[in-house]
Amino acid sequence: MERPAHHSRVLVWDLPTRVFHWCLLISFSAAWLTAENDRFLYHHVFAGYSFFGLLIFRLLWGMIGTYYARFRSFSYDWPSVTAYLKGLITGQASRHLGHNPAGSWAIFAMLAMGLLISITGLLVLGGEEGHGPLKSIVSFEVGNVSKELHESLASLMLLVVALHLIGVIVESFIHKENLIWAMLSGNKPAGLANISVRTYPLIAVLMLALLSGAALVYFYGYITQTEEQPFLAFKHDSLPTNTTWSSECGDCHLAFHPTLLPARSWRRILDEQTDHFGDDLFLETEVLEEIRDFLIQNAAESGLTEAGHKINASVPKNTTPIRISETVYWKKKHEDIAERYWQSKKVGSKANCNACHLDASEGWFEDSNMKLPKL
Amino acid sequence: MNHKVIVGIILSFFFSFAQASVIDNMLQQYTAEGGKNFSAARGEQMWKTDYPDRDKPGAVRNCSTCHGDDLKIPGKHAKTGKTIDPFSVKVNSERFTDPKFIEKWFKRNCKWVLNRVCTSQEKGDFLMYLRNQ
Repeated sequence: MERPAHHSRVLVWDLPTRVFHWCLLISFSAAWLTAENDRFLYHHVFAGYSFFGLLIFRLLWGMIGTYYARFRSFSYDWPSVTAYLKGLITGQASRHLGHNPAGSWAIFAMLAMGLLISITGLLVLGGEEGHGPLKSIVSFEVGNVSKELHESLASLMLLVVALHLIGVIVESFIHKENLIWAMLSGNKPAGLANISVRTYPLIAVLMLALLSGAALVYFYGYITQTEEQPFLAFKHDSLPTNTTWSSECGDCHLAFHPTLLPARSWRRILDEQTDHFGDDLFLETEVLEEIRDFLIQNAAESGLTEAGHKINASVPKNTTPIRISETVYWKKKHEDIAERYWQSKKVGSKANCNACHLDASEGWFEDSNMKLPKL
Repeated sequence: MNHKVIVGIILSFFFSFAQASVIDNMLQQYTAEGGKNFSAARGEQMWKTDYPDRDKPGAVRNCSTCHGDDLKIPGKHAKTGKTIDPFSVKVNSERFTDPKFIEKWFKRNCKWVLNRVCTSQEKGDFLMYLRNQ
């Protein structure tokens, strides 16, 4: 820490704090923009991990960082906030070199909400999608509830971000200084307490190197993928398989993974093997039994995949669909697919899952592994 | 000559013996069931005969509906569009190596094309035709 006696500008925001601020903005925006479309789940998760990592850095930096970045330097009580807000109205709000009282509360609110968003995000990822550090700990139901929380918190976060922005603009006008520029350059005109902080460029470079390195490793598959071997996002353990099932069912059509229909549906399909959508399968008893056991053991009820889970939940208990495309969940997920795709030669049939789902034969049906063919 | 070529040649010998013996065994079985003087020409005749398509009135179906006209290239399942491995033993060495597989597909496909089971005589004629394709 140095005290520049004659300098008119002081360094308020060290480089790591600035890198944190703008990277957090980018990762939150990226997460927001990739949230709506399931196909970008893999990207959304990366944005989320970066967001979480940055927040953890900020928590540390708030304790061991430079003066204005430390939580102690901007922990104001509520009366200070109301006094400051009243001052804004009367035009007598005092200028703060670091965060002002109202701004500081917004910072703490965003930090707290950011952490909650990260944690609920990990719960959704673990529970619903079966990925991430919490995958074997969190149930599907907890994941499902967390999703609602995750979304509401993110909207709330956006609201606080808006307040933060309004605050920045208002204060920039009142004190006639460009606070956005200050977060870029780090400098502010010297005030009463003109403490100038150190830059810490190495830490900032390390942060950027870590983020870009992680991005490269995470997305490397998309760089090296080919038309014949597209990258499959979210590698995970193989689902159960059975050679009799894959050869007998796979002879005529994609061997639909057992997780895609409830057990009662598979029973019905095999019981009706003499009229299998118009054809007689002529399966021998022992072959039929082996396939039946495999299908029932790994049916939708097993909860092995997100798709299976949701299909099963969408099928009324008193119905026994024999087509996956008859289930409510399937219909809902495919309602936006234009008719021309179904009619195209590349798809042709609703049973041709692997025309769009790159991992259909594996049975995963990951959101990120869906790609409409070019027509 | 590299290893892959040698292994390939050995395998294709193995498969051709396997095919020969599997087909011969099946022909013996069809003879025992009453078939005789199996003829490749009759088999070819059957392969090319059209039968009414029961799903599309006025249309016809035959073996080529799924297996295509060129047996050396993959065919396409008429309903699901799934690729069917080439029929020709010259490019697909796994054809005619499993009696159960052959019988199952005779059952399914005779029913789909002819709408009845094939006789032992017909199946023998078929195999005589297809073993040289």
